[in-house]
Amino acid sequence: MTKPSTFRGGTHPPGHKDLSSGSPIVRLPAPEVVTVPLCQHLGAPSKPVVTKGDRVVRGQEIGAQNGFISLPTHSPVNGTVKDIKDLPMPHRRSGPAVVIETESEDGGCVFEPWSDHASHSPAEIIDRIKQAGVCGMGGASFPTYVKLSPPPDKTIDTLIINGVECEPYLTADHRLMLENPSDMILGMEMLAYALGVERCMIGIEVNKPDAIELLESMGVSVVPLKVSYPQGAEKQLIDATVGREVPAGGLPMDVGVVVQNVGTAAAVACAVRDGMPSMRRIVTVTGLGVASPGNFEACVGTPFSDLIEAAGGYSGDVERLISGGPMMGMALFTDGVPVTKGTSGVLALEPGEVREVSEGPCIRCGKCVDVCPIRLTPSIIATAAEYERWTIARDFGALNCMACGTCSYVCPSGRYLVHYIKRAQDAIRAMGTGKEA
Amino acid sequence: MAQTRRFELAISPHVGSPQTTRKIMFDVVIALLPALAAATWFFGPGALLLVALSTATAVGVEYICLKFMKRPVSFAFDGSAVVTGILLAYNVPPGVPWWLPVLGSAFAIAVGKQAFGGLGHNIVNPALLGRAFLMASFPILMTAGWAAPESWRTGEDCGWDTNAIVQEELAILPGADAISGATPLNVLKQTFDLDESSRTALAEGETEVAAELEARAVSTRSALSSSGTYANLFLGRRGGCIGETSVLLLLIGAVYLFARGVLEPRLPLSYLGAVAVFAWIFGGSGWFDGDPLFHVLAGGVVLGGFFMVSDMVTTPVTPKGRIIFGIGAGLITMIIRRWGGYPEGCSYSILLMNLVTPLIDRFTKPKVFGEVKSNG
Repeated sequence: MTKPSTFRGGTHPPGHKDLSSGSPIVRLPAPEVVTVPLCQHLGAPSKPVVTKGDRVVRGQEIGAQNGFISLPTHSPVNGTVKDIKDLPMPHRRSGPAVVIETESEDGGCVFEPWSDHASHSPAEIIDRIKQAGVCGMGGASFPTYVKLSPPPDKTIDTLIINGVECEPYLTADHRLMLENPSDMILGMEMLAYALGVERCMIGIEVNKPDAIELLESMGVSVVPLKVSYPQGAEKQLIDATVGREVPAGGLPMDVGVVVQNVGTAAAVACAVRDGMPSMRRIVTVTGLGVASPGNFEACVGTPFSDLIEAAGGYSGDVERLISGGPMMGMALFTDGVPVTKGTSGVLALEPGEVREVSEGPCIRCGKCVDVCPIRLTPSIIATAAEYERWTIARDFGALNCMACGTCSYVCPSGRYLVHYIKRAQDAIRAMGTGKEA
Repeated sequence: MAQTRRFELAISPHVGSPQTTRKIMFDVVIALLPALAAATWFFGPGALLLVALSTATAVGVEYICLKFMKRPVSFAFDGSAVVTGILLAYNVPPGVPWWLPVLGSAFAIAVGKQAFGGLGHNIVNPALLGRAFLMASFPILMTAGWAAPESWRTGEDCGWDTNAIVQEELAILPGADAISGATPLNVLKQTFDLDESSRTALAEGETEVAAELEARAVSTRSALSSSGTYANLFLGRRGGCIGETSVLLLLIGAVYLFARGVLEPRLPLSYLGAVAVFAWIFGGSGWFDGDPLFHVLAGGVVLGGFFMVSDMVTTPVTPKGRIIFGIGAGLITMIIRRWGGYPEGCSYSILLMNLVTPLIDRFTKPKVFGEVKSNG
């Protein structure tokens, strides 16, 4: 194998992936009550189209698309709507959700299954992906159909499937690639067909040699990538795989590339081939704080507490519960939040696993500058933000930060660099004088 | 789950690298220890005592300042005061009275560091500010007291002079008495003065005197540039400040720091590289005839390069800025050595560059990912 590709900067936090990477995906039945968020995708939440007391069937649209950057939401079960209200969410403080009492979990094929996607036009495929509510399953949950509908002046020539999974602990994508590669490959072919591109490839970190080997043996063009965080960040992945640098403030389509997560590709296959809306996903439940870490396929709306129970319950002293990975995930105060299409992991971390919190002054060691994948100067932006010198923060490029957390990770003074930079971003945007973001 | 569990909230990332400021500082202390061993071997337990006094003073004064300003006293034990205390003592001659490094160390911490807000906020390297304060206040004490290596054990017949020139060459050197007890850089400076006197004599028509002075300058310089001198400088058989003696042991410390990921190579390498290049350009009597090896080995540039130019707080954080800092400090060091009032310019060059660090940072802001292409 040639030397694995990478981007400039980055760091290598301990992976802890062996906790769950050997555990096959376990399919969890729908719980008695599902809490289906209407705000699972990025953008405007779906508008509820059912009311309390309505009977719904699996796959039925319960929330309608509400704008361009929005998606419909579907019921993952057959049952009765108990309530529609704002509830705590894993990815934001709270959001609208439809609470459904489960009766059964069969059916769900609400669209016509297309066994041969090539007999339908790309526009039809894209429409199906939209109707099925497919959004990015890597974390940001951006509506997939939007990425597939570039403005006419942009030419897309490359599709990159993101199988990097650079966040420590998470193994959901790894297991998917091992256990269901055919769906993922089919989804990839559908996405390439929808975009009209010939060139597609999948980027995988070399810490998943079994997945690389399997997919290569199935004829997929795999780009092995160095284990370095954040290798899976869209712009860094494009840089590492095809050597194109997405302009600051620009989008991958500006360099002719579309990136989709492996889970998204599998969801696309289900939507087009099986006529199934996006209602389930694979979640890694791990950390030393759970008894038997593993990977679970759960329907959206399943409470995190059910996942924890499926993983053997809490063990020992759990200091922090996280939705997502440890680098960019959100800390939760309760496990009573539902799985969304973007929930890649549930982490229960013990005190020893969590970063110690004792913030000191910046000693200007410059480690954050060396590792920043965006090549910012986090130390200076953060110090400027601390003293509310927003123009300095802006001049050092604060608005380009994607909050990957690499700087905070390496900081020997334990500074909350991401927090300061986010504060600066809010203040700069409020000033209204920020450079084009 | 029946019971409701509540968890701590915090901003991501939720994991952190094991590196801490404290570990970095104590790594620097460890890296400075080989040089302390060299100082003790060559200059005796007195040197060790001066370092100990200086370090204790630094920590004590830091503690008192923090207490006085009602700030957490735990900062006094984070290792940064220890580093400052050691470096201050490393920058004084071994023969100074005990109270001199104590005073310098107290000044370094109280004025150089705490007055500016403590760790991370000082503008210039506190140890070097302390040294500059001592140089300004006690110029005679600070430029004398050079001890011949190992003379504390063997007396006058130790076989080594402070000027690092080997005995055999010193024996045949005209005017050898004049350079006995001087540091190698001081000797070099004297040869420049001889050049000057020779030119004056020539202008006054005293050709013979001029030729003799010039011959002395040339032969002294060639003695400084001999392999014997290099070896003495490298191993540490020379007069000089406590910490700068042994290049070998300083390098061992530097390698340790580098292996531990604490030392960022751009700063020291650009500094030492710049010293070597500028030494060759104008470090000799004329142009492009200087001796880069002598200039790098002599004086404090190795100590300065690895432990003070690479001081994190007072140097740029940007990759380009670090190279500019190193080159700038190297240039100033050589200008002072060649034309300045002192034989050694290392510490002042670093202090001067410390002052422009914020400017360097601002003008060397790295190009943000994707910025080049969007603008071009």
